[in-house]
Amino acid sequence: MVTSPVLAVRDVEKTYASGTRALRGVSMRVLPGTVHGLIGANGAGKSTLIKILSGWQQATAGTVEWKGDPVDWSHPGQALEAGMAAVHQHTPLVDAMTVVENVFLGRRETKRWDAAARRADLLALCERVGYELDPAELVSELSVGARQMVAILQALARNPDVVLLDEPTAALSPAEREVLFRSVRRLRDTGTTFVYTSHFLDEVMALTDHLTVLRDGLVVVDSPTADVTVESLVTAIVGKRLARMESSAPAARSLGQPVLSVRELSSAGRFGPVDLTIHEGEVVGLAGLLGSGRTELLEAIYRADPACTGEVRVDDRAVRQSPRAAVKAGLALVPEDRARQGFVRDWEIWRNISLPYLSGMSWRRLLPRAAREKALAQQAVDDLGIVCGSTESAVGELSGGNAQKVVFAKWVYGPARVLLLDEPSAGVDVGAKADILQLVRRLADDGRGVLMVSSEFEELLTACDRILVIRRGEIVADLRVADTDLHEVTALASGLKEGQPA
Amino acid sequence: MSTSTADHGSWRRSLAPRAAGVVYAFIALVAILTITSAAQGRPSYLSSVNLSNILDQSALIAILAIFMTVVLISGNFDLSVASTAALAGTVALKTIDSYGPVVALLAALVTGALVGLINAVLVQKLGVNAFIVTLGTLTAVRGVVQAILDGQSITATDTTLLDIATARWTLPIAAAIVIGVLLVAGAVLLIRRGSSIMSTAGLWFAGLALILLAVFRPLMLTQTAPVWIMLVLAVLAALVLRFTVVGRNLYAVGGNPEAARLSGIDVDRYKMVAFVLNGTVAAMVGVLYAGRFNSVDPTVLTGGELTVIAAAVLGGTSLFGGSGYVAKSVVGTLILFTLSNGFNVLNIGSNYQNVVQGTVLVAAASLYTATSKRERSRFRLALRRNKGSGGEPPAASTTENKELVRH
Repeated sequence: MVTSPVLAVRDVEKTYASGTRALRGVSMRVLPGTVHGLIGANGAGKSTLIKILSGWQQATAGTVEWKGDPVDWSHPGQALEAGMAAVHQHTPLVDAMTVVENVFLGRRETKRWDAAARRADLLALCERVGYELDPAELVSELSVGARQMVAILQALARNPDVVLLDEPTAALSPAEREVLFRSVRRLRDTGTTFVYTSHFLDEVMALTDHLTVLRDGLVVVDSPTADVTVESLVTAIVGKRLARMESSAPAARSLGQPVLSVRELSSAGRFGPVDLTIHEGEVVGLAGLLGSGRTELLEAIYRADPACTGEVRVDDRAVRQSPRAAVKAGLALVPEDRARQGFVRDWEIWRNISLPYLSGMSWRRLLPRAAREKALAQQAVDDLGIVCGSTESAVGELSGGNAQKVVFAKWVYGPARVLLLDEPSAGVDVGAKADILQLVRRLADDGRGVLMVSSEFEELLTACDRILVIRRGEIVADLRVADTDLHEVTALASGLKEGQPA
Repeated sequence: MSTSTADHGSWRRSLAPRAAGVVYAFIALVAILTITSAAQGRPSYLSSVNLSNILDQSALIAILAIFMTVVLISGNFDLSVASTAALAGTVALKTIDSYGPVVALLAALVTGALVGLINAVLVQKLGVNAFIVTLGTLTAVRGVVQAILDGQSITATDTTLLDIATARWTLPIAAAIVIGVLLVAGAVLLIRRGSSIMSTAGLWFAGLALILLAVFRPLMLTQTAPVWIMLVLAVLAALVLRFTVVGRNLYAVGGNPEAARLSGIDVDRYKMVAFVLNGTVAAMVGVLYAGRFNSVDPTVLTGGELTVIAAAVLGGTSLFGGSGYVAKSVVGTLILFTLSNGFNVLNIGSNYQNVVQGTVLVAAASLYTATSKRERSRFRLALRRNKGSGGEPPAASTTENKELVRH
């Protein structure tokens, strides 16, 4: 029996104005009444494809067919009209409005807001989905998971034929995930079609009927989920050539004393109790997917999370609960969102670099010596290869990679004992990426400890001695780089394989 | 190192309207008033008496503007200064006859510091928006003043405050020349240590002006005590902001609080100290203001906070924090008072005075915003250029996010 697809994509290509080819001829057929998984690593083209499907962006070449007819949606409203609703990772909801007001936001079928009818509609919808919600509750009072459900209900309230779910579980607790899965299955059985993307491969295997795997803008797997094995899936995602790193992994180095030790560190709802130790000269990778609690863990170690409990010791001295104490104790954080957390945009390179240890390079810890600061900045520019007009350039004017090097430079010339790096190479071009990884290695060789988060696991395998895998707030594995490969790390982080708690 | 291009850039940057506009505006304003009054055959606008007059009228508001600038740099906002000053003045006059001037002054300063502390705790520890909190203290503190005075104005018999507030202090000519030479020498030293000529323009200007005044206008070296206090505080605040770790950290706290916090700076402490300092200084201004006539009434200084904020904004201080210069805020105050003084001298009548002041303020703010928008779009362009290679479409600029978060 041949069913015609409700949504089909034929040879879609997308080239951005910058010349990046995000999609290089992707075809996909979504059959009605199925859950269609769309997966791939970061930068594989998933987000671009979803944006094209939901009308946010247009394909450079190729066609999108909706119920057999080619369509050319130029804004999301058209996709919605046609019967395709998208739920993005962070769907904006109006906090100050109730659940029912949010679910029917922007509906224009009736002029009058018929509260009783809307309430009845919502309850009927909840009944159909199998999820209970108080329609009169304010959205700001809801848990993250319930908010996500409101966003999904908002999409479903328009009775769409196809629902795009983009990473819907990243912020959900296991119980909330179960509710979501039940709802999705239930709606599928009544004829709604889902396109589902997730980093968590265990979810994808459990929930979807058909899988499309993207890699580097091409479809590498297109088959029913039942025919796919876990092994082949991981290989498809990471690619054969990368499954094993060339043996650039460093030989076992002699490590010094423990420099950072973390005991029973936990923050309610973010990550569970975590223990870890980092030695002098060691680079430890923290491998985790978006929403795994990796950033939160790093911030808690840096004592920037006032709600966390547990102990952090540097050189066997406990660190009090404030970033100020952390800096004094010898911790340094290179944050993920550098524009928001890393530098002062209007400041020159030299003023940014000297910020954390300014009093140390001042006359009597009181009067900064600009000449010294500028000399340091010049040294950083030379050492790290920061491309800029001069050390007087504002950091906000630099490219992402160079700004990142400035954020690094803030810490590397100071007395920091442990560097906490959150996605140090995100948004950085390939050349700068290699520079930064080399720099990390060099910093450790000088006797510092490094804890580095990255969602590009290849990077961790290249730069680290040891990798801790974090999933849903727990460290599920402690692997020596020499004994592991990309397969294993990916499988552990995405929940395809259970690890032994570290 | 390509210092020549860097110098060239900083020259142009310092001369741009955004950096020096308030000074141009002030010079232009004074020139217009001078020419007009000369054309109408009135006494010289630039007479020592008239200039001293403007200085004396603006001194107290300028003191408030200096510390308002500090609060604005730290990324906060304080509407309560005028009410705080009124309360402190009332406290001082109420206590001076029974307890003597020292206790009165201390009581007033403690009152101001307390109001500042209340603002600081509510804003920084509780997280209430600074605009709301200080709007509240503005009203409530004024209410306390009204309750204490009960509709009456009070006068003290002890005249110590009157004597201080109206004293005329003279800087000896020799001292003026020495200080002027020292300022210029400091500027030269800074240039030899790598600063550009324009970044030391304030020092040059102040030093030369002092020497010229000492030589050609020795009468100008006699000013009222509030003027001298204002000048000393302005110099102190400018030096601390520019040359100390504390000053640098304050700009960082306002410029990017999250980056400052993660760099190990105690953001809360800086912001709170700015509030407390502002309250204390407002109290001092209140005492001086009460001392002028040795009396206060319930409406004293009403609306003063708006003049103070207008002066800081005229001086180019950002309401989003992280930028501002006390010297420019002082010039901003001078512009506002020169305008009203000009209306009096030219006998135009005060009906249009507010229209002109409001227009000047909005025009200045528009100019600043327009020039910095151009910078922002350049920044966004740069961001887009390097984002492209990352494979992601350009995200919205971070600048926009920042503003959305702020207000």
